[in-house]
Amino acid sequence: MKAYTIEKNYLEILLDQFLKKFKVYGPTKSGLDSTFDEIKSSTDLHLDYKSTVLPPKKFFHPPKQTLFKFTIQKKKHIIQESKNDEKFILFGVHPCDVHAILKLDKFFSGEFKDNYYQNRRKNSIIVALNCNQPGEHSFCKSMNAGPFLKEGYDILLTDIGTKYLLEIGSNKGKKLIEDLELSVASNRDVAEKEKKCKLSDKKIKKILDPFWLPTLAEENLDHEIWVDLGERGGVAGSFSCLSCGSCSLVCPTCYCYDIYDTLDLSLKHGSRIRELDSCQLLEYGEVALGGNFRKERKERIRHWMFCKFGAAAGDKNSSCVGCGRCIRVCPSKIDITKVAKELRRRK
Amino acid sequence: MLNEYYPSLAIIKEIKKETYNTNTFALDFFDSTLTNDFSWTPGQFMMLSVLGVGESAISISDVDNDNLISVTIRNVGNVTNSLFSFKKDDIFGMRGPYGTGWPLKEIKGKDILLIAGGMGMASLRGVIHYIMNHRKEYDYFEIIYGARTPDDMIFKYEFDVWRKIKNSTLHLTADEIPGKNPFECRTGLVTSCFPMMNIHHRNAVALVCGPEIMMRYAAKCLETIGFADKQIYLSLERRMKCGIGKCGHCQIGVNYVCKDGPVFNYADIKPFIRPL
Repeated sequence: MKAYTIEKNYLEILLDQFLKKFKVYGPTKSGLDSTFDEIKSSTDLHLDYKSTVLPPKKFFHPPKQTLFKFTIQKKKHIIQESKNDEKFILFGVHPCDVHAILKLDKFFSGEFKDNYYQNRRKNSIIVALNCNQPGEHSFCKSMNAGPFLKEGYDILLTDIGTKYLLEIGSNKGKKLIEDLELSVASNRDVAEKEKKCKLSDKKIKKILDPFWLPTLAEENLDHEIWVDLGERGGVAGSFSCLSCGSCSLVCPTCYCYDIYDTLDLSLKHGSRIRELDSCQLLEYGEVALGGNFRKERKERIRHWMFCKFGAAAGDKNSSCVGCGRCIRVCPSKIDITKVAKELRRRK
Repeated sequence: MLNEYYPSLAIIKEIKKETYNTNTFALDFFDSTLTNDFSWTPGQFMMLSVLGVGESAISISDVDNDNLISVTIRNVGNVTNSLFSFKKDDIFGMRGPYGTGWPLKEIKGKDILLIAGGMGMASLRGVIHYIMNHRKEYDYFEIIYGARTPDDMIFKYEFDVWRKIKNSTLHLTADEIPGKNPFECRTGLVTSCFPMMNIHHRNAVALVCGPEIMMRYAAKCLETIGFADKQIYLSLERRMKCGIGKCGHCQIGVNYVCKDGPVFNYADIKPFIRPL
């Protein structure tokens, strides 16, 4: 589709146009770190960010969400739908996170559809932003998920100096800007994007060959590295895993959730809630009579790594996109790329 | 769009006591179209929910001609505990059936060895009924049922019927026999019945369901007496929250127990249940 350019100061007007019709969520910087939050005016927007703490997954698969509300009566239970029909624009999402959303799209469809996710996704428009400043932990290039985006966006912005190159990726995106007068991009602008893309590629220092990851998982189920990682002081400069669950909390493709019920004081009204869960927590595999299918810490960290390698039940739909968030937040400095390399080396 | 997470209302038609902590509930959907359209395979499970308490995955032990669903439940956790406070005609939520069930079509014409431990019989009772109704389609039929004590055995009232199935044997065994022994149980684990088995592995299939530790030993012993991994099927237990392969808790290797199982071929999951 067609490409346009937009002056950087003009972005404010573009945003105001969006705000008239939709809620807009985008990267803000309220403290030291960037975070995706509601954008009320262009001053809130902070597009010059490396990575947010939490991925934009939270808008589609919220950390905590009511599945339905219910009322218990003697001979009847009433189940009330809980739906969020808010239409929103996700502004300034980096390619790695867009790829994670594409993976979750596949995960939450299939034989059993997840209405909650699909509904939120249907009501969303993605304005992606190509990543000119990949962070020190990013390895999106290796995972084929960045730093520049090829698919999955409605509108794609690329910073090309004084202007943004604006590309349209879907009819949703086309409709969004049809009222605006934008100048058509010249060949020079497009060439500038290519240049930026190459520059950005070079900034990524972490490289990993993703093709041997699933086989790596298959072959190393009983590798000593998992004991090292779980109990014996870590691997490749890290400490032992603490099972804190931070990695899965910040992972843009981690989907696991817990479901539980709450009741109010009358014991008549309540709701069924789902909340993000983590395979790193001890309770994750617990069953009745004190059984636990993931009792050992090494089993839990191994499972998470395999899941990110694309060798667990989520298959490629829960595998890593290389955003580097888990490496950044891990209190034990566990680096998934280093573990993969170490597995390969110690074979 | 149909929402998979909504439980349909169901009513308890009958409660039958099995042991001191186990009951069989006969359940019926409130909505008669759901009852009429219900179809199942032995080995599948239902998600039963007590609103305000939670949801649990429970094996279907039988479905009768009126499509009344029987589930056999042991009182061990929050949801089962509150289900035990329910009386006849009380209502609660139910959705399903989920899972793949036992491969009854694929194993036609073979000798069937059925090994159940404790509550594992709940999932396998449907298989016994199916084989009784389609007796000619299967060859020799052998049941080994073990429990902690003879009192802990479920479906005791059916043992006499099972003994009379043509071309079959029923072995009962208990870990210990503290009191009376009304059904002539042996003492020992299920594997201790293997030397007396009539079935030869040549044309046989083993269907195993019970606590995971028992299944590991049983599968290992079956291997030593000549069963190939492919001839063994296991029904696994895992923590389940959604039943539709989304919540992630029941993952084993590259499979979800709720969606791709709970019945698995031993060859597919062998590395993940840590054979001894």
